[in-house]
Amino acid sequence: MSLLLIGALRSQRLPLRLPLAASTVAAGFPSPADDYIDVGIDLNEALIRHPSSTFFLRVSGDSMIEAGIQHGDLLVVDRCLEARPGQIVVAVLDGAFTLKRLVRHRGRLRLEAANSAYPPLELHQCGDVQIWGVAIHVIHSLGRHG
Amino acid sequence: MADVLALIDANNFYASCEQAFDPALIGRPVVVLSNNDGCVVSRSSEARQLGIGMGKPYFQIAGQLASHGVVVRSSNYALYGDMSQRLMSSLEPFVAELEVYSIDEAFARLPRPRHGDLSAWAAELRSRIRHNLGLPIAIGLAPSKVLAKLANRVAKGDRRHAGVFDLGREADPDPWLEQTPVEDIWGVGQRLGRWCRLRGIANARQLRDMASGELRAKAGVVGLRLQLELQGVSCLPLEDGPTAKRETCVSRSFSRAITDAGELRQAVASYVVRAAEKLRRQGQRSGRLTVFARTSPFSPGLYSQAASAALPLASNDTAVLLQAALPLVALIHRPHKRFVKAGVLLQELQGQDELQQHLLAPLPAEEQKRREALMQHIDQLNRRYGSSTVQWAACGLRPSWMMRREQLSRAATTRLSDLPTAWAR
Repeated sequence: MSLLLIGALRSQRLPLRLPLAASTVAAGFPSPADDYIDVGIDLNEALIRHPSSTFFLRVSGDSMIEAGIQHGDLLVVDRCLEARPGQIVVAVLDGAFTLKRLVRHRGRLRLEAANSAYPPLELHQCGDVQIWGVAIHVIHSLGRHG
Repeated sequence: MADVLALIDANNFYASCEQAFDPALIGRPVVVLSNNDGCVVSRSSEARQLGIGMGKPYFQIAGQLASHGVVVRSSNYALYGDMSQRLMSSLEPFVAELEVYSIDEAFARLPRPRHGDLSAWAAELRSRIRHNLGLPIAIGLAPSKVLAKLANRVAKGDRRHAGVFDLGREADPDPWLEQTPVEDIWGVGQRLGRWCRLRGIANARQLRDMASGELRAKAGVVGLRLQLELQGVSCLPLEDGPTAKRETCVSRSFSRAITDAGELRQAVASYVVRAAEKLRRQGQRSGRLTVFARTSPFSPGLYSQAASAALPLASNDTAVLLQAALPLVALIHRPHKRFVKAGVLLQELQGQDELQQHLLAPLPAEEQKRREALMQHIDQLNRRYGSSTVQWAACGLRPSWMMRREQLSRAATTRLSDLPTAWAR
């Protein structure tokens, strides 16, 4: 596996501010690096396209393990997206948020787990299912560190 | 075509926020209680249909709520504040100009399309907000702010309008104005309302058509503007963003009456701590501070007292404000008085940058900087790990007078430890 360094992480959540020296200075000798100063990486900005409709949820259980989603992971959910087959969605089922993959199977929509121990749910068979949002990222912590 | 003014607000905002993050509450009656679990301040539509009244004291209706299976929640301001910001920023792309008017309502300006009909626009906006945030909204449209507010009332009051009412498209607005009691007009306070009633003016249509000279003599130019707005002439502009606050107040009711001077001191200290945090967040300093406390207005012999002190130098340093506030508590405390509410008012607010180095500055500049850094660190810790992570000793430990919030839901959108669970099972 090879890794590519993509930049430094901004440590604090700050509003995006341009560095003072980012523009060309009229007098004196501007540093040749001025044009290359960058502000670092903001994970919020990188991962979230629609901040006002994006929410975080905590995953509990192992039914999505084969999709790389583990117990305790942080789920990033965007509610403004229309759910499409193939996407992992948060559905409201029996008064709880439930994580499943929306799948089209023989012309019908159903919710599938990513773990063979859990049977699929045919949408036309379970009365009132609402798709609450579409999962767009999962943040998995690699054990204890720091 | 001319611009349209809109008043857009969330229905049952607090109860709707609770339902949005707890799927077990969808379709169930929910009520939210005010500070201190005092009375009902928000009801889901299901609770409304059960006939549960707004503003009813909780202790009076607790039995009724339980027998109907109504879910009761304490006010969760972390959740409502965050959802409010999301709501307002979601409205922005839909309008030309937005004025956030309160936590759950905004005035907006938008152009009226050539064909005049905004119902498609309104339907799209309502379904977007419902889909993205889980919040139901109502939209009132009219040529002026006062009429937009009135139209919003109509939109909400009558199911047939499906949450949208465009007064500007009505050939005859009079019936709608006639069904609006004069006290319910935006901008008509208690006094003006009483004055109108005494003159036989009972509704918005009558106020619009009354002799303007008489109204002017009573309410001055404010009254004339109100009348013009009712006639559909827009004269109240949208405000750009919140104006810098001139004072800030933190006050709360206690969970039980306090007689002890020490407890009153602790309560006031904790309000000073909150108020100082607020100032720092707003980038302001205060030059004057007032402490007040009162007994219950429902029991005989109401006692209400305030004391005020000027600060030698405007400050937002919690320690400085505490030093000024605590001696005032001794001035207003009376033995045997049963205090139910206290508060602190910070006045003469100025921007952080306005402060000039002062000859009388109590601390040398270096020390001043360190104190500011300390305040910043405390604020950061409390923001990150929950308020009161770093606590001031003057506030006491686990005080028993503290606000009751026994049925508080979680800070589902603002705190990592409180996130809703997505079940993978």
